[in-house]
Amino acid sequence: MSHQTPLGSSVPQASCLDLWREKNDQLVRQAKVAQDLGLSPRRQQLAQDALEGLRGLLHSLQGLPAAVLVLPLELTVICNFITLRASLAQGFTEDQAQDIQRGLERVLETQKQVGPRLECGLRGLWNSILHASSLLPELLPALHHLAGLQAALWLSTDHLGDLTLLLQTLNGSQNGSSEDLLLHLKTWSPPAKESDDPLTLQDAQGLRDVLLTAFAYRQGLQELIVGNLPRALSSLHEAASGLCPRPVLVQVYTALGTCLRKMGNPQRALLYLIAALKGGLICGPPLLEASRLYQQLGNTAAELESLELLVEALSVTPSSEVPHFLIEVELLLPQPDPASPLHCGTLSQVKHLLASRCLQTGRTEDAVEHYLDLLALLLDGWEPKFSPPPSPRGPCMPEIFLEAAAALIQAGQAQDALTICEELLSRTSSLLPKMPWLWKDARKGTKESPHCPPWVSATYLLQGQAWVQLGDPKQAISEFSRCLELLFRYIPKDKEQGPASNCEQGCMSDVALQQLRAAALISRGLEWVASGQDTKALQDFLLSVQVCPGNGDASFHLLQTLRRLDRRDEATALWRRLEAQTKLPQENATWSLPLYLETCLSWIRPPDRETLLEDFRTSLLEPCD
Amino acid sequence: MAGLAPRVHYLAGFSCPAGGLTAGGPRVLHLGAEVFLAAGRELVYVYDREARQLTAVYRFPGQVWHLEALALRRALLVLCARRGIYCLSLDQARRSVSQSDGDEDSEAASPVTPVDPDTCVLPDATLCAFTVLGDLLIALAQGPAQWKVQLFECPSPGADPGPRGQIGEVELSTHTPPAGSPGKSQAPHFRPVLCCVSLPSSRARHSPPQGPRAFTLEGPLFGLLFGADAAVLESPVILCGLPDGQLCSVVLKTLVTSRSAPGDPKALVRILHHLEEPVAFIGALRTEPSAEGPEDADLDCLVALGHHGRTLAIKASWDEAGSLVPELREYCLPGPVLCAACSGDSHVYHSTPSGLCVVDLARGGPPEDPVQSDGPGGLPPLLCPTSLGVCSVVTLSVSSRSPAGGTELLALSAKGRLMTCCLDLSREPAQPTRVTAADTGRKIKDLLCGISTVSERVSSLKKAVDQRNRALTCLNEAMNVSCALLASREGARPVSCTTTTAWSRRELQDVLTATCLLENSSGFRLDRGWALCVQVLPGSHGSDSGSAVTYTVPVDQLGPGDRREVTLLLGPGADGALDLPVTVSCALFLSLREVVGGALAPTDPFKDPSLDGCPPDVLPEQGGICLPLSEHTVDMLQGLRFPGLAAPPVQAPAPCHPPGDPVGTFLETCWRPGSEPVRPESLRAKYLPPSVAAIRASAELLRAALGDSYSGVSLCCATLQWLLAQNAAVDAVRARALTSVQAVAPDGTEIRLIVHEVAVADLCPAGPVQAVEIQVESSSLANMCRAHHAVIGRMQRMVVEQAARGSSPPDLRVQYLHQIQANHETLLREVQALRDRLCTEDEASSQATAERLLQVYQQLRSPRLLLL
Repeated sequence: MSHQTPLGSSVPQASCLDLWREKNDQLVRQAKVAQDLGLSPRRQQLAQDALEGLRGLLHSLQGLPAAVLVLPLELTVICNFITLRASLAQGFTEDQAQDIQRGLERVLETQKQVGPRLECGLRGLWNSILHASSLLPELLPALHHLAGLQAALWLSTDHLGDLTLLLQTLNGSQNGSSEDLLLHLKTWSPPAKESDDPLTLQDAQGLRDVLLTAFAYRQGLQELIVGNLPRALSSLHEAASGLCPRPVLVQVYTALGTCLRKMGNPQRALLYLIAALKGGLICGPPLLEASRLYQQLGNTAAELESLELLVEALSVTPSSEVPHFLIEVELLLPQPDPASPLHCGTLSQVKHLLASRCLQTGRTEDAVEHYLDLLALLLDGWEPKFSPPPSPRGPCMPEIFLEAAAALIQAGQAQDALTICEELLSRTSSLLPKMPWLWKDARKGTKESPHCPPWVSATYLLQGQAWVQLGDPKQAISEFSRCLELLFRYIPKDKEQGPASNCEQGCMSDVALQQLRAAALISRGLEWVASGQDTKALQDFLLSVQVCPGNGDASFHLLQTLRRLDRRDEATALWRRLEAQTKLPQENATWSLPLYLETCLSWIRPPDRETLLEDFRTSLLEPCD
Repeated sequence: MAGLAPRVHYLAGFSCPAGGLTAGGPRVLHLGAEVFLAAGRELVYVYDREARQLTAVYRFPGQVWHLEALALRRALLVLCARRGIYCLSLDQARRSVSQSDGDEDSEAASPVTPVDPDTCVLPDATLCAFTVLGDLLIALAQGPAQWKVQLFECPSPGADPGPRGQIGEVELSTHTPPAGSPGKSQAPHFRPVLCCVSLPSSRARHSPPQGPRAFTLEGPLFGLLFGADAAVLESPVILCGLPDGQLCSVVLKTLVTSRSAPGDPKALVRILHHLEEPVAFIGALRTEPSAEGPEDADLDCLVALGHHGRTLAIKASWDEAGSLVPELREYCLPGPVLCAACSGDSHVYHSTPSGLCVVDLARGGPPEDPVQSDGPGGLPPLLCPTSLGVCSVVTLSVSSRSPAGGTELLALSAKGRLMTCCLDLSREPAQPTRVTAADTGRKIKDLLCGISTVSERVSSLKKAVDQRNRALTCLNEAMNVSCALLASREGARPVSCTTTTAWSRRELQDVLTATCLLENSSGFRLDRGWALCVQVLPGSHGSDSGSAVTYTVPVDQLGPGDRREVTLLLGPGADGALDLPVTVSCALFLSLREVVGGALAPTDPFKDPSLDGCPPDVLPEQGGICLPLSEHTVDMLQGLRFPGLAAPPVQAPAPCHPPGDPVGTFLETCWRPGSEPVRPESLRAKYLPPSVAAIRASAELLRAALGDSYSGVSLCCATLQWLLAQNAAVDAVRARALTSVQAVAPDGTEIRLIVHEVAVADLCPAGPVQAVEIQVESSSLANMCRAHHAVIGRMQRMVVEQAARGSSPPDLRVQYLHQIQANHETLLREVQALRDRLCTEDEASSQATAERLLQVYQQLRSPRLLLL
């Protein structure tokens, strides 16, 4: 057994060294064979075996006291082990840091530096090794390789300060002032590998290139998110010019496109996006970015076309690339973040975006088609093949139903809208309070009212609108009344839940709730008007003005009704107020209302506010003349 | 509940690891007449119940953790520890294994088929649990810092063993990775559990095929637990019970991710509850009778069992206003829970080491109790487990195959016996049937099987009784010892501990050791559970300086008259310093947990179960009885060595110089050939006067105190011997009748003790008083102080003893005493002022202050006072 080899005698040790070295080379070759196996399950097994072999080899090497002669091989084995392990696990963990630390302590042992300053951690270890006067030149290549892995580890865990110090030490630059990590990475040139060195999975030079690209891209992305656009642009250019695998290149080009769009260079941005699309399999992010670009340019047709292409692109399951058994750029990138500009979401999210954009831009037919597609996608089957993570920012499932119903009413398909609403209510029926509108009679005395999310009320509102379109005012009025009953009973849940609480739990902004109430009141009032019951209508309009003073439409409807009822004094007072309001700058556009509510509000808007005011002025002035 | 007594049928025996099976590992499940079984090892058995024989045995490359049978695909999925998931075709299994004879224990006869490595459809060393839902395979993997739920297409046997497309992945909360070996990831002690729930199939148009671990929950509970989105999507939901106690859910339909867009845990994962102990089981029940009949009813209650018996039940109910609210209850069942199962009605079966129990969540309390706290539909306030009389079941599976309509459980006992337990909860009257020969044979077999079950149970109960008896004996003895010790506060104690010190040489260094001799002179035994605690505290009695070190040595069987010696190292430590005095205090400690803990762990199934539930928690972790024995201060006088008194040649080895003075060693070796060795000490002795302190005591006092034991020698000799009484060198001092000795302190500096008689003139009006002056001299100020302190300590004790005896001092000249006291008070005030100045001053002037302080201290030590 090798452990019994006396250290002093050189001949058996040399043969042992050869043996270990041969073992290392064989394991590296095995990993490379596994690499070439493609996506076979054997590949994983073979790589796992190679990893275990490397672990065993490391154990036997580290079982002996550290010796300068063996140390380069030992460090190389550590490097191979870390590389294979990190690439198999697709990430770095604390274990890798421990492996590096063990290796460094072994180097210190040979340097006879007793008592490594453990409190300084890895940074202290690197410092004492690289600054030691007794650092042997034959250790340098392996140490640089190990330093490359340490740099990768620190980059992936965002220890940039430590990383800068390490690179400064490696480069031998003494000026501690320079903080530019990119420059340090560029100037770092690890010693080249000799032909008779033990085999490695990845050499230090390659590792440096990967680090350079990964760091430049990370920095660029960060600056882009922060909004420091010129610096982002230069970093991203750096990343694009380096050694870059194609999927990463697509991301870099897309980020460049985003950056240039925000800097006001849409044409150059477009060029980069086209380059990104040419680049590879992943075309989601550039297409989404292109749609944003066209939206900014006001080119709705092109915007929607990009979104349609994006939907198509996401419908195809991308063939996943086989990761190499190397430290790759992807390994060092931060976890994809839904907030990042490069996040393109899932198929259903994009489809929803497309449908809502169609509805917003007035392409009602397309909107209906896309909404129905989306609902079919979400509800058919039970497998999670194409489903949305309901991100906290996006609408929840009931709201998607409501948007679809609004689109259908807009397109004149009221019957279908009713079906959608009924479907929604039936699917959530078990969640709703037990018969809320009968509750008052059943249990008088209790002050508490059942909690019912506002989207339930909104469903009744849309159902009422559908009945309006179908010409059934009775049904419509009953739906509106039901909606109002729920709405006025609704007590907003305590706001302490914070921003995390989404619409699903029944939270809605106060403004939206006011507008929803106003919309229901106006809708019912209009139905009263249609059936000739002006006094009832007047009540509803008055209430709507009180409930939502910011809603100008309510005042106009009220004005009209007052005029019809010939209540001149009140009408004049209201008119004066309205006149004063119209002279003030309009600011109500800043509210962000749910799309279905906005659509609904557009239906009950008085058609010609200006002519109404003009009419009123003339009629008011007539008796004065 | 006598009607619950199950009919137990013994099916087959399987080999199991030595020491019996443990919970968590073994699995049993059935598919039609076929029973699949993993007994915590590498083997998976396929047993045919109709033919009553083994049909196949597979050997896997590692321990088998989990099994799932796919009915439609005729496949068996097996999770093998640290390998991944294998997929076996069941039809192939039939063919490949030759028929073996019908012997029940035929394991040896059936051939073991090693599985083909190619059948590993999901190689992943990190997988810990999985379940199957239709075409999907849901796996739980242990990431470096998190648990990950992963979603794959379900593999089928014989299919192209290509890579399985991963459909989705989301990370669950953080978990603490197993500590220890950084290399191989250790097998987790508790594994997570997975379970799928979905909406009723009548509503969900595209309902997934039901799996063994999939439940259908009624709408309100489903919506309440998982939200409106899940209800609108009508999506199945995955429930994960983690070893840290978290119970979280993931809506399956939303779990679609890609590498570029992994699932956002905040949006996808809902934490339902935290059980605060490893989750052992998740299931669902029907607690209310339903109109649709018991078979088709949707389940209205979700239960989760923790490993220590904490049980959670969740139901949906409506509050006064009509809003849907969750009703959540926690119960405490006797633990540890080995396994559990739900049968679709309101019963939960759970197995503990002492027996298989059933609880009814519909009734909970006794059936005659008509008043429920929450009205109809509420969960019972308390659960009463009913024992079924089957013990040490490690894995359970509910099969509804029972023809009588009752529940049939498939169980594997800790000894590897596979059996079925038929529970006829409806309790129909037994009907007389005609007995045929075949029936008789079967009946005899059943009886035999029943006997074996009973014998297994008897042996386990017997073990528990023995354990309790032993614990009681121990407690009784402990009671006796405690009473004896506490009763004899003064005088000789029945159990005593004496401490002596000695120098010895260890590893090239002289060390001071303390030997505690524990002597049991009582009539009782100190048995299992007792430990001797020795606390070494720097400083003398009561002074609370520095940190104490406690040594605990188990006292193993100390009978009457026995003695046990414990030797401790007092110092010097690595830095060569030994800070005297130190206090060594000894105490006896009885750990209740050690004595009683084992007996309480398995609960007695015959005891009233409602009173059960928390015995392991009664004992706090550190609970025990502590009996102080002795306290001993090791001071400078005991730590001195006397190289000069070489009369007994081996008594004290030549003191080694402290290791940390290489310069001294160097100088010494350099100067050895010359005339005079120039060591720092000798230099110091030459140029620095030694520090001196003295104390005087009247001869009368000393004579009275020393008494007769020192008769025949001069008072000075006697005093010196008295001072060094606890030092090992006292014999040499006595033999030579010395009045002054040259000693070496632990750090190697020299100390002189000189005792001589003086006459004090001004004190007493009657004339000069004869007194003895004890002078301490050393070149090291610190050592002089320590020795002086030790001498004063002894004097103080002596004076207190003498005062207790009531000896009267002679007449004194009071004014003289006053003057001395006034002098000392001014000196003390000056000390205080100097000390204050020392804190505020800078380097240069503080030097002067320090010197002045030293002078004052020396004045304070000047022997003006006389002890009378």
